[in-house]
This record gives sequence, structure tokens and C-alpha cells, in this order.
Amino acid sequence: MAGSKPAKERPDQYAFLDLPEIRSRYISFENEQQVRVNLSLPAIHCSSCIYLLENLHKLEAKILRVQVHFARKEAAIVFSPDYKLSELALLLNYIGYPPDFSRNEETKKKQDRTFLFQLGIAGFAFGSIMLWSTPDYFGLGQDNATFRNFTAVLSFIVSLPVLLFSARHYFISAYKALRSKSINLDVPITIGIMALYTQSVLQIFSWQGAGYMDSFAGFIFFLLIGKWFQNMTYASLSFDRDFSSFFPVAIQRVKPDLSKEIVPIEQLQIHDLIEVRNEEIIPCDSELLSEETFIDYSFVTGEAQPVLLKKGAFVYAGGQVQGLACRLKVNATTNRSHLTQLWNETKDKTPKNQLLRYQDRLSRYFLLILLLIASVSGIAWYFIAPGAVFRVVVAVLIVACPCALALSAPFTLGNAMRALGKAGLYLKNSSVVEALTSIDTIVLDKTGTITDPNSYQITVAPHHLTDQEFTVFVNMARQSTHPLSKALASAHEAAPELELLQLEEIKGQGMRAEWNGETYLLGSAAFIGEAHLAKGSELFLKTAKNCAHLRFESSWRSLAIQRILDGYGANNCYVLSGDHNQDSEALLGLGFLKDHLFFELSPQQKTAQIQQLQKAGKQVLYIGDGLNDVGALGTAAIGLALSEDMFRFTPSADGILEAKSLVNLIQMLRIGRFAKRVLQICLAFSLSYNIFGLCIAISGQLTPLIAAILMPISSITIVLLSTLLIHFKYKHSFKS
Amino acid sequence: MGIIYLMLIVSLCIAAFFLGFFFWATKNGQFDDDYGPSVRVLFEDEPIINDVNNGSSKV
Repeated sequence: MAGSKPAKERPDQYAFLDLPEIRSRYISFENEQQVRVNLSLPAIHCSSCIYLLENLHKLEAKILRVQVHFARKEAAIVFSPDYKLSELALLLNYIGYPPDFSRNEETKKKQDRTFLFQLGIAGFAFGSIMLWSTPDYFGLGQDNATFRNFTAVLSFIVSLPVLLFSARHYFISAYKALRSKSINLDVPITIGIMALYTQSVLQIFSWQGAGYMDSFAGFIFFLLIGKWFQNMTYASLSFDRDFSSFFPVAIQRVKPDLSKEIVPIEQLQIHDLIEVRNEEIIPCDSELLSEETFIDYSFVTGEAQPVLLKKGAFVYAGGQVQGLACRLKVNATTNRSHLTQLWNETKDKTPKNQLLRYQDRLSRYFLLILLLIASVSGIAWYFIAPGAVFRVVVAVLIVACPCALALSAPFTLGNAMRALGKAGLYLKNSSVVEALTSIDTIVLDKTGTITDPNSYQITVAPHHLTDQEFTVFVNMARQSTHPLSKALASAHEAAPELELLQLEEIKGQGMRAEWNGETYLLGSAAFIGEAHLAKGSELFLKTAKNCAHLRFESSWRSLAIQRILDGYGANNCYVLSGDHNQDSEALLGLGFLKDHLFFELSPQQKTAQIQQLQKAGKQVLYIGDGLNDVGALGTAAIGLALSEDMFRFTPSADGILEAKSLVNLIQMLRIGRFAKRVLQICLAFSLSYNIFGLCIAISGQLTPLIAAILMPISSITIVLLSTLLIHFKYKHSFKS
Repeated sequence: MGIIYLMLIVSLCIAAFFLGFFFWATKNGQFDDDYGPSVRVLFEDEPIINDVNNGSSKV
């Protein structure tokens, strides 16, 4: 069936949506007959999803119409005003499409379609001019001056919007580059465009034909296609989320008379009482008022095990409550919480030193050589035939116009980005591919990155429990909300169901149950009466005869770690963890070097560690998953956020890596490096085309026909070359 | 020979018509979602009875 496994639901889970101020955030249109809302439904992934969602009115008559936008994973839903938004959300959650209310701000961004208009106009001009230049190409229009001038003027009219509208970006970019006294590839492009256009206009108005107008329009058209190909992004993913999309939208506030109300978290005041339920996220720094509770900080600090907090303890915002609902007193509002401060601190940092684009570096030399050749051939022709100097110099500038050169990078990097996307690495944009090629050091976060947060390695010791007894314990654990019990239950999901008698849970200690006339105990060491055995993160089991304990250890993504260490060498791999060092033995066993492991790091220390490595000249790739990695992700040359589920919250990063694809990291980096080689091959090809054209231009034999043939052919070669090479490399890397 | 001028202008008009058509389609968001429509076209048409019962598929 379509959609995802329905999340655990409570009837009042979405009650906050009925608060007028929150409701109005999501409603895009409303009148007496209908309400229109745009919801982000990350679970949309196949054609059945579209079918199911667009036929939602069959399940619920109050829903009038649904239109799915597949690429953005959104649904525009129209429903009648007597239907509540919370009911709609609950229904969507029930059928497996829990709406994501945190992405609201981003989806409001309007799509910019200017680019498509520019592309359309350039294509229109290219086609039209080519059409009426055809007789010229075959030498047919030469004898009819009226016809030639007529088409020339038409070409001029049609090409005007191309120059003023479609090519605008290149002029602006070149102007900006020159003003900041640097040179990018857009500078020689602009010179080429100018040469093409002025030469053509001069020819047209001296009634000598349409000049190079066809090449001009085609040139812009091809350049824009390259840009379009390069700018493809993953519309449904967001790489720049801020902390507000991590927190819940609203929370339950407990009024002085102990009645509860739902308020948006911005409205929380210091000293308010709030109630946070199982698996909800604590929105503010606060003080615990309930007796005790488990808080999972793994996302905020990297600590793997949930922490047990007692009454009066200070709770940081961002922790996730595990177990029973707890009450808290707000100490600081969300904007002033520890976590938010940390986020803002790292956000304001100086941006990464931008890698100079490969083709921009190249374009300096290109421009220099181009100007040199143009002036030398101009001087040479001054002595041969002074009348031809202008024509030859312009011809040199025209033919050297780096069209194929400008297409090499967009197509190569764009193809590489698509190949990586297929392999499970989604990059923010294609310039990250270029940065990938220079990576020499890999730094990994521990919790949730090289450990699998969804599974524990559970060892039973000493092992003389019978399978039957163990099954009883698994059944007991299923009834508990204690994190370790839950881990035990989920590790043995397949165990048969048993009917237990007199099951009771003693809060904070353990559980007792009866089965087949025997009493079973599950809980802390003290609970089963063996207090002297107590050690951290263990669960004890006791039957009438037997007693055993379970040890919970992080389960490593061993294969992925092995491949990374093999591929880059232990010397170039580091682990930065916010957790305690209980796992250092295991990490050493996996092959990491002792002085490359760092524990108990604060987010700032992680960032500092990365900076230190970069000062030593390393190009660092950082992979992390939590909020404590935000700084490090932003500092490293490339920061990748690892995610089990692509559409859950991820800290802002240069790319999102699917957790199951971590094993293929080395192959992906290889594709990145291969892309650089492909880029070099393409550049060599396009330069040889340019040199060939230059030879013709210098000898004074360039005609519009040769230009019109040479330019498309060189561009098509480059496109084919880069697409095929990257495709074969991808096939080769992921064959097995 | 005169006919070629007419043909040129006609061809330009046709091309301009398609350019306008492309602009209209772009503005209407036809190129925003390149997967949904290909699936939607395969869905069964709704029986019209639905409309009479509760008027749910109007607008």
C-alpha cells in the first residue's frame, strides 16, 4: 500500500491546528463554500499515492478536491468550512501521509519562472533565424538582395529580446566580476556575445545579410540549456532548515486551575507550566516538575542513551520525552533557549571560503590568450591587408567564444549530481560536486551516524534463560514505555504474543508479571534484588530460578565504517562525538586510530576541531545527523547530513545522505573525482574546437556558415561526452 | 518569388503563436510537476452520479 506506516496517533494530536492563529498560517484561501490549504506530505512517493490522495473525497465527503504536486510532495486540498483542519490532518496521518507542518514557510516561496521564459525566447529566435537563413547556407539567397535584407532585418528584430532579456544574466555576471576585479567564465562569453552581435548588426545595416545572428541566438540558447540542466535541484528536499522547523508548532499549557490549553510555542512565557507527552520535543529550556522522566538528547548532544532526570532537574530545549507525559516549568522562551543560541551562533559565522570554480580559474588564461591571439592576428593582417583587420579580429573573438567550454561544467557536474542522487546522496547544488573532488579527510559524528539509532546490540549474560522465558520478557517489555524495554521489544518484534497475568509496572523501577504460575521480574538491579550488580544502561531479568542481565550497545554500521577506513586510510578518518567515551574500545576495534577519536565535545568544540584540521591544510568532509553538528557541518568544506528518512528534519548542510547509502560513500566520492576528470576531457575537446576555429578565423576565412556549423557540433559533442562517461562510471560503480 | 515573403511571415506568426502558447503553459504551472500528470491520465473517469448525490466534485 502507498504511504508510510501510520505513526502512533492520538485523537488530539493535531488539535493545535484549530487555534485561529495557527490555522491561518496554513490556510491559503477561505470563503463560505470552501477552504483551501497546501500541505506538505513527505510520504508521497509513487503513482498510487496520487491516486489515493486525489480520491480522498470518497473517504470523506467534506473534502471536495485534492491535487497532488508530485515533485514538491505537496497536496492542495479544498474542503468544506465545517470540516476542521485537525480532522483533515488526522485523516491524512491515518492513511499514512502525516502532514509536515514545519515546512510551511518554505513552501510559500513562489517559483521563479523567468528562466523558462528566457529559454523559450532564445529557442524561438534560434529556430526562426535558422529557418530563414537556410537558403543562405546553400548559397541560394545571394543573388536576391531584397530577400536577403528582408530576412536580415527580421533576424535583427527577433534577436533583440534575446540580447536584452535572455542573455541578461551573462552581462550582469561579467560586470560584477570585472567590478570586483576578478574574471569568471562569463567575461569571455560576454566578449564573444558582443563581438557576434556588433558584427552582425553592422552587416545587417550595411545591407550585407544577416551576419552571425543564427550563431548568436543558438549560442544563447545552448548556454541557457546548460544552465537549466545545472540548476536542477531536489524540490522536495530542504537543505537550509532552521531550528524552528525542529520544534513543535504548539504545546499544551497547564493553566493555574490545572485545565489544559494548546498554545503556539511563541506565546509561551517564562514560568508557564507545560505538559509534554511521550515522543514530543521539549520546546524551551525548563525545569522538570514531574517525579522523573527519560529524556532522549541524542539529536541535540549526541548522547546515545536516554537520560533519567529527577524532579527539579534542568531540561534543555530539544530533548525528546520518552515514556509518560511530564510537566515542566518554562525557564527561557524558545528564542532564548540554549539550543537556539547555539544555532544562531554558528549561523552568523563567516561563510565557507568559496572554492574558485575550475572553469573560472581556467577562463583567466583563456581570456589572456584570446586577447593575445586577437591582437597578434590583427597586427599581422595590418601588414597583409589593412582593410581586413577589423573583420579578422572580430572573427577571432567570435569563434573563440567559449560555448562548448561553458557547457562542459554544467553538463558534467549536473550529470554527476544526478548519478549521486540515484545512489542516495542528494546535493544542494552542482558546485558541491566540484568540492567533492578535493576531499582528503573524512570526519564522522558518532551517535546516529556511524551507529544505527534504531537498533541496539543486545547481549544476554549469563545466557541460561530458556527461549520460553525470554519470550515472556519480550512480551512484558512490549507493555512498557521505558526506552530500554522498548529497544528490547523492537529487537524481538517477531516473538509470539503471550497472555500475561497481573502485569504491573512500578514507575522508575521495573515490571512484574505472572505467566504459567511463575513470577517474572524485569527492571533495574535493585528491583530484582541484586543491587550490587548495578551498572549503567542495563536491564535485569529474573524468574524464580534464573537471573540474567541485558547489555545494550550501540549497533555499528560496521560495513560502512570498514569501507570508509579502507578507502581513505585510518590516518585520514576522525570521529567527533558528543557522547561519553564508553565506545572508544569498540571504535578502536573497528580500526580507528586512538588520537583520531574525540569524545564529550560540545558543538563549538566540534567546530573548532574541524577548523584546526582545515588550518592544517585538510579538505574535510563532515558527516553528521544532529543539531550538535550544525556548526561542524557549516565549517567543513562539505557537510553532509545523514538521514534515515529523507523528509525528517535534518540540520542545514550541503547535502543529504541516505543512511543506507553510507556504505557506498567511497564509490560516491570516486564518482565525484571522476567527474573532475570528465570535466578536463571536455575542456580539452572544447579547446581543440576553439583552436580549429581560430585557425580558420586567423586565415580570414570565417563565414557565418562555418560558425553556424562549428558551434552546435562542438556543444553536442561535449554534452554527449559528459553524459555517456558519467553514466558508464555510475553503471560500473554500482553494478554489484 | 513574392510568395516566399508571405510564407516567411506566416512561419514567423506560427512560431510566435507557439512561443505564446509556451508562455501561457509556463504561467499556468504546466512544467512545475513533470510526473503527476503522466499518472493522472491513467485514472478511471469518475461516474457522474457522484455529482448529483452530494455535489462534491463541483468547481
